Amino acid sequence: QQPIVIKFSHVVAQDTPKGLAAEFFAKRAGELTKGKVKVEVYANSTLYKDKEEVEALQVGAVQMLAPSLAKFGPLGAKEFEVFDLPYIFDDYKDLHAVTQGKVGQELMAKLEPRGIKGLAFWDNGFKVFSANNPMKKPEDLKGKKFRIQSSKVLEEQMRTLGALPQALAFSEVYQALQTGVVDGQENPYSNIYTQKMHEVQSHITETNHGYLGYAVIVNKKFWDGLPADVRGQLEQAMKEATDYANSIAKKKNDEDKKAIIASGKTQVYVPTAAERLAFKKALVPVHKKMESRIGADIIKQVYDATGFDPSKL
Amino acid sequence: MNAFIIFVLLLGLMLTGMPISISLGLTVLTFLFTMTNVPLESVALKLFTGIEKFEIMAIPFFILAGNFLTHGGVAKRMIRFATAMVGHWYGGLGLGGVLACALFAAVSGSSPATVVAIGSILLPAMVKAGFPPRFGAGVITTSGALGILIPPSIVMVMYSVATNTSVGALFMAGVVPGILLAFFLGVTTWYRAWKNDYPRQPKASMAERFKAFKDAFWGLMLIVVVMGGIYTGLFTPTEAAAMSAVYAFIIAVFVYKDMTIASIPKILLNSANMSAMLLYIITNAVLFSFVMTNEQIPQALADIIVNSGLGVIGFLLAVNIILLVAGNFMEPSSIVLIFAPIMFPIAIKLGIDPVHFGILMVVNMEVGMCHPPVGLNLYVASGITKMGITELTVAVWPWLLTMLVFLVLVTYWPALSLALPRYLGMI
Amino acid sequence: MLSKVFDHLEEALITFLMGAATLIIFVAVVHRYLSGFDIPVVQDFVLSINMAWAQELCIIMFVWMAKFGAAYGVRTGIHVGVDVLINKLSTPWRNKFIVFGLLAGALFTAVVGTLGATFVWDNGAHYAFYSWFGGNMDGLYEGPTTPDLEWRTWTVYSAIPLGSYLMCTRFLQVAVQFIKTGELPHHDHGHVDGLDDEDTAEVK
Ligand code: NA
Ligand code: NA
Repeated sequence: QQPIVIKFSHVVAQDTPKGLAAEFFAKRAGELTKGKVKVEVYANSTLYKDKEEVEALQVGAVQMLAPSLAKFGPLGAKEFEVFDLPYIFDDYKDLHAVTQGKVGQELMAKLEPRGIKGLAFWDNGFKVFSANNPMKKPEDLKGKKFRIQSSKVLEEQMRTLGALPQALAFSEVYQALQTGVVDGQENPYSNIYTQKMHEVQSHITETNHGYLGYAVIVNKKFWDGLPADVRGQLEQAMKEATDYANSIAKKKNDEDKKAIIASGKTQVYVPTAAERLAFKKALVPVHKKMESRIGADIIKQVYDATGFDPSKL
Repeated sequence: MNAFIIFVLLLGLMLTGMPISISLGLTVLTFLFTMTNVPLESVALKLFTGIEKFEIMAIPFFILAGNFLTHGGVAKRMIRFATAMVGHWYGGLGLGGVLACALFAAVSGSSPATVVAIGSILLPAMVKAGFPPRFGAGVITTSGALGILIPPSIVMVMYSVATNTSVGALFMAGVVPGILLAFFLGVTTWYRAWKNDYPRQPKASMAERFKAFKDAFWGLMLIVVVMGGIYTGLFTPTEAAAMSAVYAFIIAVFVYKDMTIASIPKILLNSANMSAMLLYIITNAVLFSFVMTNEQIPQALADIIVNSGLGVIGFLLAVNIILLVAGNFMEPSSIVLIFAPIMFPIAIKLGIDPVHFGILMVVNMEVGMCHPPVGLNLYVASGITKMGITELTVAVWPWLLTMLVFLVLVTYWPALSLALPRYLGMI
Repeated sequence: MLSKVFDHLEEALITFLMGAATLIIFVAVVHRYLSGFDIPVVQDFVLSINMAWAQELCIIMFVWMAKFGAAYGVRTGIHVGVDVLINKLSTPWRNKFIVFGLLAGALFTAVVGTLGATFVWDNGAHYAFYSWFGGNMDGLYEGPTTPDLEWRTWTVYSAIPLGSYLMCTRFLQVAVQFIKTGELPHHDHGHVDGLDDEDTAEVK
């Protein structure tokens, strides 16, 4: 009997946390279903590119993807932009309370009318600021040009700090920093290290102000059409892959932070509790400003899940 | 088996003479309708997203820039400058032609455009000066091929699109081989002229040379704009292409005043026409390579070749032969777009550098453009000189032989291509 | 008469797209370059202008140019094929292959146009038309938007069905013309407008 083939396409290299987790899922899916399912992983955009993969999944041309959460806003699920809000999560505990809890499920449900079934959230990590000047307080970012991912929420975040957002493709960031097209940027340590950004930035402040992550999604029609036992086994494989993905993402960020410090090219500054609070106070107003776009309801639900109360800040 | 059916179908359709883009597209559709369960909607999606990439947009920009340069008097001034520099040596205007082609290649991304720009001015002048028509045709047809090796290069953009290799690194990798090939072609020209005692130009005085340089200066500056801009990171390659189009427009209309504002719409339309044709091939080639990837054909081929013990030397030899054969029937963009996705995974598995592999493909394309039955440069030269293809074929052979020797050098000496981009820290 | 007007519209559209896209990228680059200069007030003003959409718009314009330009290209005979073999055939046989090639082009573009139209319809056009004209919206989905300009992607993707159907029409027109007159549009790669003996005489 022919195995059921799941084409799992992604846009990053094989040896990144996401790439490794995809391979891990492929292996476990084969084992748990006893060969009834064969997961073919296509790395590096060989099958579909960043811009087209979600639409390809919707028409059923590919079964499984792990796009960055930023992809769901343009799809019409603006609620997903909640993940771009600065200081919406204080730490991994807050984050997982949302992604692995009821709110996460409700967010994934927003994708179903669009023919997509969300299976899991995979972490990349928390973002830090890098620039060519020390940043101990929010005012230190004022007037600087910061590269952001194309996102209306991140644009507002930078404007709130008095900085000037410039949306640039990820692949262009290194050169833009090197030539001074922009002064700074925000990313998790692992992205900074793999793109060698620390070579052209003198300072990093570990603000951990924002989150970068992925969602593993499948074509809904395909998923609902699977035999129930197979679906259960795949869910188990996905659960294991998610734990694996999150743990290696965290490990990679920790390792790359050490490597950046060891390189001696960038000073890594960990703000004190009071300094971090100042950043948080400066940035939390972005939540209110973006309320009409993202939805007050979803922001409130996240607050409830994490126990955050902006009025008590 | 599937791979076999796909290729036979493609070959069969192509030989009926229908446009290559259409044969690619029909092959994909036939395959999707009969042999696989990939939803057809993905074809529609790919038809848009296949070219939805900023890097690809360098192609229309470079074509537009090339047209402004050709019509705007830049080519003319480069020829005068080149002739003033080397015209008094054996080979005279011919040697000037090689240099002018190299200079023009450094601002234009296409080979046929280089042949048109330099050839349509220089070839009649050479005949008037007493050169046999064959000699001039041979020089310009082959030197024009420098257009895709010396950056900028549309074919390199195509390779980068097909393999996700950095355009900037490819451009830099083309510089040294480009200069070397220009030198080789120059030596061949000089030798043939010396042996047959062809006419030489009177030696230009320093003042004349300086004046020729001053006249050509604004055109030559474009080399700085494009290469300097990309190298310093001021522009991405696509932005550099757009900047060079605007710059060429300003030079042609306001500095050299060889072009009127009224002629602009026509040039825009012609550029759009040519660009659309290339983008249409790209679209369908992307679709074709998508179907192959989806069937895991390149991956399977890579495994076969790697396990066959063919090795790097044997593989590269095979690549050269296949590409030279393909060069008999198709034009470069189609060849690169069809073959690069198949050959690239094998090259990577064998540890060949992607940038070196790209330069190797480009040099193969250069050779293919200069020999019959299909060779764009030949067609263009035939259009200019009104010589038949058979006669032209005889005319180009000394230079073609030189190019083949050069091809071997590029193939088995990676450092020739890789030293500069490596020195600049781009790879 | 009407078809002449239509031809001119087609030419005007692709001419405009080519020129405008070039200008947009030029302005975006100059803008980014200027924003690098640390001049008080001026820098703030320059940075307050958002040009983040420039790349996206350029891509959309060029894709439209490509789809409509491809149709125009059928009319100007610019799409090249491998004609080595059929050129060796006798004229009647060669003509059969040429007609076959043109009809194959018409078939391909018609199929692709239909696939594209279906895709555009499912990807948001259905929703849009029903919400404008009051249809039953159950289970319909408004479709994605582009990331920067936040335009509906179905409007952007409409280039595929529109361009392909136009191209199909052009293939059929050329086929009919060929059968009637034996003439094919031909693109001469060696020809350059405005270069004549006057230019060549200047080189000495
Ligand atoms: Na060139
Ligand atoms: Na050839």
